[in-house]
Amino acid sequence: MALEMMMSGPDYMRDPRKHQFSPYANNGGTSVAIAGDDFVMIASDTRLSRGFNIFSREQDKVFPLTPKTMMASSGCWADVLTLNKVLQARLTMYSHEHHDMMSTTAVAQLLSTMLYWRRFFPYYVSNILAGIDEEGKGVVYHYDPVGHMEKLTFSATGESVSQIQPLLDNQIGGLNMLGVKPPTMTKDLARQLIHDAFVSAAERDINTGDGIIIHTITKDGKTEETVKLRRD
Amino acid sequence: MATERYSFSLTTFSPSGKLVQIEYALAAVAAGAPAVGIKAKDGVVLATEKKHKSILVEEHSIIKVEMITDHIGMVYSGMGPDYRLLVRQARKVAQQYFRTYLETIPTTQLVQRLAAIMQEYTQSGGVRPFGVSLLICGWDTDRPYLFQCDPSGAYFPWKATAMGKNFINGKTFLEKRYNEDLELDDAVHTAILTLKESFEGQMSSDNIEIGICNAKGFRRLTPAEVQDYLANIA
Repeated sequence: MALEMMMSGPDYMRDPRKHQFSPYANNGGTSVAIAGDDFVMIASDTRLSRGFNIFSREQDKVFPLTPKTMMASSGCWADVLTLNKVLQARLTMYSHEHHDMMSTTAVAQLLSTMLYWRRFFPYYVSNILAGIDEEGKGVVYHYDPVGHMEKLTFSATGESVSQIQPLLDNQIGGLNMLGVKPPTMTKDLARQLIHDAFVSAAERDINTGDGIIIHTITKDGKTEETVKLRRD
Repeated sequence: MATERYSFSLTTFSPSGKLVQIEYALAAVAAGAPAVGIKAKDGVVLATEKKHKSILVEEHSIIKVEMITDHIGMVYSGMGPDYRLLVRQARKVAQQYFRTYLETIPTTQLVQRLAAIMQEYTQSGGVRPFGVSLLICGWDTDRPYLFQCDPSGAYFPWKATAMGKNFINGKTFLEKRYNEDLELDDAVHTAILTLKESFEGQMSSDNIEIGICNAKGFRRLTPAEVQDYLANIA
């Protein structure tokens, strides 16, 4: 209880001995993305919180960037909003100069460099980028707050990453099991995995819940689906 | 770079609306060694004369046709030292672009950025315009590109062009000889013939330089390859 108050309470409850302003807040949020041969699915929970307080139960944390790329961001919501705003500006500048929209791989690299520029006062944001690459395949990029970037076929990030990532490693990557081949990824399988992963995380992690919005991107366009989660 | 005393531009308008410094820069270009660029269906060729002033010059140490990236090459007419600076800056621009987007820079983007740099030097304190015109060739999005960049910062896309000494004759020659169905081999041949129009003395693989750019990328021709082409026109 005391530890909780120390980590997440207001400034004056943080440490009775001194007041210290922290520029960062942790507003929670968890995201998952799964890539297939011709699609990619990216989902986030919709709860925005701070400590034991809930700010919103319906905050979509997935931002569209181009018709073929989306990114899910969680962490400090102020930094999420600013990072997104600046990235949108860069995307617009690129399309003005190139008369063409940015490819998913170019966006991925740009985000990495943008995050590293702030190496010494980072964006407190966990990002996943999901999109269709130039060959039509689905691709997922996972980031840390200072721009380390990894190209993957599935990834989780945010508050419940410890609960969800091992589940994905096992079910999609076939890890930690003997004699099991990883399945071919289909939209139905991806949707089911995302649904089950979030439902399980909501059971055990107090910060995850309220709902999820699942976005699917294919070369033909985007669709989205809302799923309810427990609200406690 | 400008010292504190030169915060005013040395390039100023004349009453007739001209920027005389740029006119003079263009004169420096027109006095430089000839350079030719020709775009073919399947590639682009750049060629230039590399006459040295004395037989004591170590000719193989001087390279005029330079690679900027795997798929972009450049040559010039005018002042060599100014050119070297622009080659360095072009290469840096290309690498910065790759660092940001993890994609090779499109030729059009490189040309625009390089031209913007050249324009800066016509409107900054304490500097003079570059005394070179550049010919930039590239291959991306499955097609060839050929651009000229002038000291003013203007850039032009060309099918074929000549710069430097005797450029008017060179361009007239190209207007007659150019057609849209040229293949790269023919274009190299035509480029050499264009250079020959203004060449004093005997052309050899030591005193001309040729670069080509196609789907496989940009490269300079080896002296042996140049010699083969020369043999075909003799």
